Amino acid sequence: MSKQSARETRAERAAAALEVQRRQERRRATLMIGGVVLVILAIVVGGFLINRARDTSTDVAAPAAGSGDYGVAIGDKSAPHTVVIYEDFLCPYCGELEKATHSELATLADEGKVYVEYRPFNLLQTDYSANAAAAFKVVLDASGPDVAKKFHDLLYENQPEEAGPYPDTGWLVDKAVEAGAEEGQVSDDITQGTGKAWVEDASAAASDAGVRGTPTILLDGKVFQDGRTVDDLANNLLAQLQ
Amino acid sequence: MKEWFGVVARLVTGVVWIVAGAIKLPDPATSVQAVRAYQLLPSAIVPTVGQLLPIVEIVVGLTLVLGLLTRGAAVVSSVLYLAFIVGIISVWARGITIDCGCFGGGGFDPDAASQYPWEIARDVGLLLLSLYLVWVGRTRLAVDNLIFRATTTPAPEGR
Repeated sequence: MSKQSARETRAERAAAALEVQRRQERRRATLMIGGVVLVILAIVVGGFLINRARDTSTDVAAPAAGSGDYGVAIGDKSAPHTVVIYEDFLCPYCGELEKATHSELATLADEGKVYVEYRPFNLLQTDYSANAAAAFKVVLDASGPDVAKKFHDLLYENQPEEAGPYPDTGWLVDKAVEAGAEEGQVSDDITQGTGKAWVEDASAAASDAGVRGTPTILLDGKVFQDGRTVDDLANNLLAQLQ
Repeated sequence: MKEWFGVVARLVTGVVWIVAGAIKLPDPATSVQAVRAYQLLPSAIVPTVGQLLPIVEIVVGLTLVLGLLTRGAAVVSSVLYLAFIVGIISVWARGITIDCGCFGGGGFDPDAASQYPWEIARDVGLLLLSLYLVWVGRTRLAVDNLIFRATTTPAPEGR
């Protein structure tokens, strides 16, 4: 064996050993990456499950339709479905929902298919939200549920922009009269905001029930959120009641 | 130089993720509501996304700050920033005015339209930093450098 070929063999052996070592290293790196990825995934899944358990979005425990103290109901209490809608007179999505559902729900209620209770409260903490809901209470007491429901519909039909400017209490009196209230019976109380204590109680009751936003819809006592947009939500809700 | 800029990119994107996730963590219901406000995802998966996001944000942030699987974390970070940019552009284009919910909060916000350009610009900046990390992969002061330390030298020595 020549000196040169001996050197070559030695070099080959060294190269082969190095190759083995590299392969082992790649294997170690792959295992390491796999292990770290598994640990990370376990943390993400665990954290997700904990977070899911802590999510209170659908934990609304509200009084059943017709049994609350803070709303106006339409339809027959023994209808096969009940709907409760928590809303703020200024909230734009409530306005959209009302536009898409108020006449349909009224028709379904007339047909005996659903019993609907609207529960206005002051979510947005604006003067208009408070004044409008307080006026609603005055109309409800002075003129009864039918006029109050009409007043409620009129307020949504003529809803102001959330950013303002807000109409004053005189405008609310006009709408109440338009809905069928006796001006003499409601004017002073609306102007003086007599219903505001009731609005605060209604808002506290909504918050205690776990209502976190408006509109919050309860179909047969359960939070109803099936819909990407407000219109989807409205259509899906109506479809459930047919 | 490149490796040190990578450290800066890791810290900036990572800390932003950790802060964004940590603010959302205490209140999953708000996080779910913020996702719903985009009116983009089917309502069936909205809660899952809302509950999952804060955790993913914190984990991605931690891995970036630590420099653990930097390239993989940077890929996830890029995908998330891209999704947020698309989301904000989408609500802006549809005329929906919401708080982006990026750092908690979320839902309707009448002044949102004026915020969108700045939010998009911020997310594009963070996306670029993330993509830079995908490109360089290796950076200084990273856990990767400890756990993936090479035990062989690149060229055969031949004793």
